[in-house]
Amino acid sequence: MSADAIVAEDLTYWYGQLVAVDHINFTVAQGEILGFLGPNGAGKTTAIKMLTGQLKPRAGRAVLMDMDVSRNVERVQAEIGVCFEETNLYEQMSAVENLKLFARLFNVGSFDVYALLERVGLSGREKDRVEHYSKGMKQRLMVARSLVSRPRILFLDEPTSGLDPASSEAIRDIILEERQRGATVFLTTHDMMEADKLSDRVAFMNQGKIVALDTPHNLKQQYGKRALKASISGKGSKLESREIVLDTPQTPEEIHNLFAREKVVTIHSEEATLEDIFIKLTGRRLSE
Amino acid sequence: MNFGIIRALAAKDLSLYFRNKFYALITVFGLITYIIIYFVMPSTVNESLKVGLYAQVVPPVFELIPEEGLVIDMVESEEALISAVTEGKYAAGIALPADILDKLAQGLKPLITLYFTADAPVEVKDAIEVMMTELAYLQTGQPLAIETSAEILGPDKIGEQIPTRDRMRPLFAIVLLMFETMGLASLISEEVEHGTLQALLITPMTVTDLFAAKAIMGIGLAFGQVVLFMAIVGGLSSQPLIMLTALFLGGILVTGVAFLVASLAKDMMSVMAWGVVVIIALSVPAFGILFPGTITGWVKVLPSYYLVDTVHQVASFDAGWGDIWSNLLILTGFNAAFVAAGIMALRRKLQ
Repeated sequence: MSADAIVAEDLTYWYGQLVAVDHINFTVAQGEILGFLGPNGAGKTTAIKMLTGQLKPRAGRAVLMDMDVSRNVERVQAEIGVCFEETNLYEQMSAVENLKLFARLFNVGSFDVYALLERVGLSGREKDRVEHYSKGMKQRLMVARSLVSRPRILFLDEPTSGLDPASSEAIRDIILEERQRGATVFLTTHDMMEADKLSDRVAFMNQGKIVALDTPHNLKQQYGKRALKASISGKGSKLESREIVLDTPQTPEEIHNLFAREKVVTIHSEEATLEDIFIKLTGRRLSE
Repeated sequence: MNFGIIRALAAKDLSLYFRNKFYALITVFGLITYIIIYFVMPSTVNESLKVGLYAQVVPPVFELIPEEGLVIDMVESEEALISAVTEGKYAAGIALPADILDKLAQGLKPLITLYFTADAPVEVKDAIEVMMTELAYLQTGQPLAIETSAEILGPDKIGEQIPTRDRMRPLFAIVLLMFETMGLASLISEEVEHGTLQALLITPMTVTDLFAAKAIMGIGLAFGQVVLFMAIVGGLSSQPLIMLTALFLGGILVTGVAFLVASLAKDMMSVMAWGVVVIIALSVPAFGILFPGTITGWVKVLPSYYLVDTVHQVASFDAGWGDIWSNLLILTGFNAAFVAAGIMALRRKLQ
């Protein structure tokens, strides 16, 4: 058995003239969290649909747990959990009924629905109709639904989008718990901090292609710049800012000169963000 | 097919159907209303024709009139006669001139005035005119030199005509069945609209499981309701097995049509719009039974004709397998075509 839970080989899909996903190649190891980043329309959702068997690739193939997805859709889908970007719960049913339905569809024998709901912070509201839930509660239930079958691979499409900080944090904790359980997590998000914090590696997707794929640290090393930012007291006690780029041959001298010639009020180091790197690579913002 | 999955989906659909207040209410309300209407309507047919007569002098031959089915009331004045006919008290009014006997004796033609309302059926007008001509001949001693013989084709229902409420049974049955088209189509359409279908399709459930569950739900709901209705209104008293078979085929028809409607509709409003069109079209054959002679042979292009005709033949004329086998065969053919077309259309939409 391969150590890779997900393999994408030349995965391609087009809608008419528009190439949504253009020959992308990557692997995700078992137990790894891959952050899949890109602006709207980059092809992330189409890629997920091909990986989860909802769309048949026009070219290339997706392999999950050593199974070609197109040829083993049902077997693959029995092993994965998917949390969609858009809420798609049965709103006239309760949380318990929603989860029990999916447990039956996945043929899950022993299943403690209340424990799962407690885990996502929905205790006490288990029997309320979902239509009466807040957006955060619905999103937590969506995550719970994707966990019903204890999937080996978890696909989470913008799981914290538009949520309050507490709900977002609760979902992030669950993602880390799932990784600890051994699940592989394929996470798409707009939130750079979240991707940076959770992902073992991140893939940047732009116009259907993967433009970079590495650990956040390596990406920052390769494409980002570290800098010192200082506030100095200028003429008439007015504060001015100075920036010194780190890791260059001139850096020590520039730091020396700064302290020798200027009256430094504050100083702090600054590291490149994933957003900065994405802009550098594509000329676009992730939030576009 | 995975029967565990199909059972879970069908149970979910049934639960959601009755949680939709509109469909739950309209289902129960419709069923109860049709049953009430059936029992409120008269169970017998009044075949007598009530006619008002104004005459200062009544010719002796008029005493021959009270035959079976004709009731003649004497009215005091011509104005009272006109008023009574206008109010619908009589199907027709006959006003005889004061000199009728003299004129008949002289071989002249007395003017007899017949009053009808504007909406009087043409057959009533014809019958009264013929009756008056015949009476005139009798009065003058010159009876018509013809004899007539009436041959009844099919079961002789003279004296035991089929009450309107029994003629309406096929109409109620088809409306009950067809309403489920909207219910089932709406359930499917909502699943697409709200994205829950997408969630179902990334489970081990197959599209075949999905269609099987929806079909069970559609057939079950439609068949259950219409059987309950027929049992209460006495539609199952003769040839119950044939009737159940016909209604079951009706349930399958509903499912095929619902799949087609769901593939065309985008939301509940468009389901309603398409559903109403379908209900009206498929109910047309039932009106042909309610108002015989109003619908011609073209109605046989509608699949519901074969259901309606079977229900009517069995419930009203005690028809057997030999009489209606061709109806059931054609209905089965229509069902196969509709279900196949519905599944194909819906599958395309899901993809």
